[in-house]
Amino acid sequence: MLNDKKDDIFLSRWVNGELSKEELSEFQSHPEYQHYVKIMAGADALDLKNYDIEKELSKLKSKRRDNKSGSIIKLWPYFAAAASIAIILGLFLFTPNKSFSTHYGEKLIVILPDGSEMTLNAKSVASFNKDDWDKNRAVKLEGEAFFKVKKGSKFTVITDNGKVSVLGTQFNVHSQSYLFEVNCFEGKVSVINNENKEILTAGNAYRNLGKTSEKWTFSTSTPSWLTNTSSFRSIPIRYVFKELEEQYNIQIKEEGLNLGYKYTGTFPNDNIQVALKTVFSTLGIEYSLSEDGKTVVLEK
Amino acid sequence: MSENNNSTCNEKAFDQFFKSHSKLLRNYLYYKFGDLDQAEDIVQDAFIKLWSNCAKVPLDKAKSYVYTIATNLGISITRHQKVKFKYQDYVIQRNTDVNNESPEFIALEKEYMEKLKNAIAALPERQREVFLLSRIDKKTYKEIAELSNVSVKAIEKLMHKALVTLRKKIGNI
Repeated sequence: MLNDKKDDIFLSRWVNGELSKEELSEFQSHPEYQHYVKIMAGADALDLKNYDIEKELSKLKSKRRDNKSGSIIKLWPYFAAAASIAIILGLFLFTPNKSFSTHYGEKLIVILPDGSEMTLNAKSVASFNKDDWDKNRAVKLEGEAFFKVKKGSKFTVITDNGKVSVLGTQFNVHSQSYLFEVNCFEGKVSVINNENKEILTAGNAYRNLGKTSEKWTFSTSTPSWLTNTSSFRSIPIRYVFKELEEQYNIQIKEEGLNLGYKYTGTFPNDNIQVALKTVFSTLGIEYSLSEDGKTVVLEK
Repeated sequence: MSENNNSTCNEKAFDQFFKSHSKLLRNYLYYKFGDLDQAEDIVQDAFIKLWSNCAKVPLDKAKSYVYTIATNLGISITRHQKVKFKYQDYVIQRNTDVNNESPEFIALEKEYMEKLKNAIAALPERQREVFLLSRIDKKTYKEIAELSNVSVKAIEKLMHKALVTLRKKIGNI
């Protein structure tokens, strides 16, 4: 046993309690036995200086952050097609609370501190706190924006109409007066407003309009407005008019028209003549554009 | 950019992975290279490397990845400076386990424990690694074998040898 050259794992088996009864009692009567018991008792009393896992993890996270250098701006291929429109790249460097807004017909790509992307559609405002970003990925939004969120902690878009929370995905949020619409393009998002909590998976959309909510599915992989097309699905025409006004910086004089009338269709964002024709001819409405190109008058 | 909970790049998954593996890695590096503070630094470096390569290393490969990175770091550091196994301040004594021993044992204990610690520090690296992973971290031979990519039998031999070496070093105290 102990001195048996062939049994070179005898003590290992003893430590593991794998000796047979005979082997054990033979070992116990051996003079060496007590010494080994003592070594084991002593060794089992040893411990290491404590390791504070949480502390080490937060140390790691702060190092990870230091390793990241600045933000890198990438222009995604499909934006190349949108050359006709001014695309302004937002850079945030100094103040903690960053705010971005777009004017009529503008789009703005904002790279958020963690590399997530936010593309603002025309006449939209978004803000977030840069210093707090690591703890709280939250963007306040009025208007419409498309998000590509990097994986990580919870990412929240806060609007007056409700909240949208995700972990890492692509989705579109459209929030104005009574309209709140969310389209999920990838991953999963949760939408919370006063009345509802909805979980949307890729290809699903949710809309709340005043008191009514609805859900539907779609099959596009990015919002159409990224490629300069506004599209609508069964929505009161007041929102279509508003979108026309925001894309082309015009005013639509609609007198006595029923603005609750539903519209489904698209219009281009880079050709006002085509856009007006598309919308109003489908609605069967005569219209005229003023000479300065600022006003559209509708005739019934 | 798909959301995948099993990706190493997923912060939650990464944190969870750190929490379940960092301590044992730190202990392993200490047994191997003999310096606990240095071991903790290496753990940090290895996990930072994992994070920056998270897209390339799937979660089920991450463990062997950090062990390889960390071991290589340890080797390159100790190549320049031969570290003697440091146990002061690092190895402490649990109070509970020895209390039911005889009064003589307790009287002997302090002197004995010093001797034992010295003997452990003087063990060949591999024997010390196996012995302490088994005794301090309560790892099974199988688990230890998986950490260092050898057979269970090899671990059992090392454990046996470690005990024999310790016994010789300590003598009849």
